Amino acid sequence: MLKGKMKDLTKISPTTLILIGVASALLSPFPLLYAPYFLTRYYVTILQTVLMWMTLSISWYFFSGFTKYIALGSAVFTGTGLYFTATYLNLMTFEGYPILPFPVIVLLAGSICFVLALAIGLVTLRLKGIYFAIATFGMSELVAGVIRWWQSKAGMHYIIFIPSFGRYIIYYSILTTALAILLLTTFLRRSKFGLALKMMGECEDAAAHFGVNTTLFKVLGFAISAMCMGLMGGSYAIRFPSINIRDAFSVEYSFVPVVMVLLGGVGTAYGPIIGAVTLSLLNQYLLVTFTGYFQLIYGAILILIVLFMPNGIMGIIMGTVGKLKATKLIRRKELAKAPKMPP
Amino acid sequence: MWDIIVRGSINGAIFALIAVGLNLQYGVTRILNIAHGDFLMLGALITSFLFQFYGVNPLVSLAISGPTVFVIGVLIYIIVCRKLVRQSKSAEELEARSLLACFGLMFVVQNAISLIIRYNPAMQLSTARYLKEPITILGETLELNKVVATFTAIIISILLYIMLRSANVGLAMRATAQEPTGAQVVGINISGVHMISFGLSVLLSALGGSLMSMIIPNLSPLTGPTYTFIALAVIVIGGTGSFIGSLVGGFLMGYVYYATSKMENLLTMPVVYAFIIITLLVRPKGLFGR
Repeated sequence: MLKGKMKDLTKISPTTLILIGVASALLSPFPLLYAPYFLTRYYVTILQTVLMWMTLSISWYFFSGFTKYIALGSAVFTGTGLYFTATYLNLMTFEGYPILPFPVIVLLAGSICFVLALAIGLVTLRLKGIYFAIATFGMSELVAGVIRWWQSKAGMHYIIFIPSFGRYIIYYSILTTALAILLLTTFLRRSKFGLALKMMGECEDAAAHFGVNTTLFKVLGFAISAMCMGLMGGSYAIRFPSINIRDAFSVEYSFVPVVMVLLGGVGTAYGPIIGAVTLSLLNQYLLVTFTGYFQLIYGAILILIVLFMPNGIMGIIMGTVGKLKATKLIRRKELAKAPKMPP
Repeated sequence: MWDIIVRGSINGAIFALIAVGLNLQYGVTRILNIAHGDFLMLGALITSFLFQFYGVNPLVSLAISGPTVFVIGVLIYIIVCRKLVRQSKSAEELEARSLLACFGLMFVVQNAISLIIRYNPAMQLSTARYLKEPITILGETLELNKVVATFTAIIISILLYIMLRSANVGLAMRATAQEPTGAQVVGINISGVHMISFGLSVLLSALGGSLMSMIIPNLSPLTGPTYTFIALAVIVIGGTGSFIGSLVGGFLMGYVYYATSKMENLLTMPVVYAFIIITLLVRPKGLFGR
């Protein structure tokens, strides 16, 4: 009897293995759900930063990765979301509490970015290649400059203080936004809309021939990507005790998502996520270990990555998987071809 | 009114010099060097170092800062960019990957310079003490060093134009920019031309930086990206691949920059940006683009 049981245990069928794999994959996000309860404050902060960069990379990839219009203007949308939320929380309070509930403020920030991106997209999306990149690159300077000028005319402070929220609220607001954006972009990517965007990236004229309204889809895709950035910026704002307009519209927000996507690997859904996690953890490690000259080392590592990892991290993973598959296939074919030995 | 023309030309001549370099390099190699403005800081650093510690005349040190940065640029091309060009399968891939590499380069150069300045507190990126005598042009009184810097920048641009028009290297560069395959067929060493144009571009940026250190009292090493952006803006306005376009665009940009910084200092960059957008909407390929 015991022997029989042992046999059953050793003989696990492939279906059960797959089921276990699926179950662990489904359960794996759960540590994120209660992270602040078992991690120290320091690690929660790092986790928040990673989630923020991940979301920004996904949002950037949703438009620029598919349509191949390289937009370098993420900072304007992230910054608008951040700064709008901060200003609202600072000014529009009643007895120490904000007038609207916090999620509504974040949604408002997102919709402002959506409208802003519609306007920017209608103007700039007729440009191509380097012209489009530069046109979007200057956008954050434009918006930040105009806001600063207006602030100085109105006699406002440059630094805005943000009322403090509990650490749990901060973490969960960022997590909720990140997961919501992940779901939204995944859903849209698999819909007809995502297919149309991909098709425009391959060949815009062919897409137009197949009845895709290219102008509408381009502008809409740009606006949705911008809205995601604005939402993330809005929910990320309460992390800071105070914010300066220079930091809110930092050029970092424009460039780093692009670098993350390229590091992770273009052409796969997991590339942006892997790239964002790797680069932000690396950044954090260097910041702690080499405080004075971490950016120097960061830059050097970036150059090395470009030189020795041409297709990003996903490229390496896919390469090894492909090699393994190829060798297996060849073996199978050889076995099939080999003449059967007579018994 | 005259002051806009006079003082705008000072900035404009140097903007044109920086932009011409970037335009040449982008046209030939198709690598968008976003660390361009940081090489400007490198030139300013070398000139100010020689001026403050050894009392070398800033105009003489152009002959030192330029070649030094040229060698650095060629080395960077050999180590980093040549490998990228060989590995990349398409022009799009090269553009994306070189953007990433230049982003890293920007961090390295910018932080190396700020570290040098941090550990030498006596040092400033400035040689504005040189030739401080006042001079009056068109009813506008300004320091002599600004005028000298402007004319030096214009002379360097003219020399570059002559080189591109008549020297063998210049002809090879123009051929490579127009038709890479055809240039290879007639026996031009494309890799060598790319290398020289990359070095030449950062050389021009460094010369611009050396001249800039004569004009601006205290240059911050962190403002490199601003100059990169201005150079890009000038290229977009003038049209990629057009020498005259970059010159005209640079001077136009200088006037716009000075006029807005005089009226509303905080609105300078927004107006520069709005200027680009309007130009692009009217002429999507730039003023002189084809």
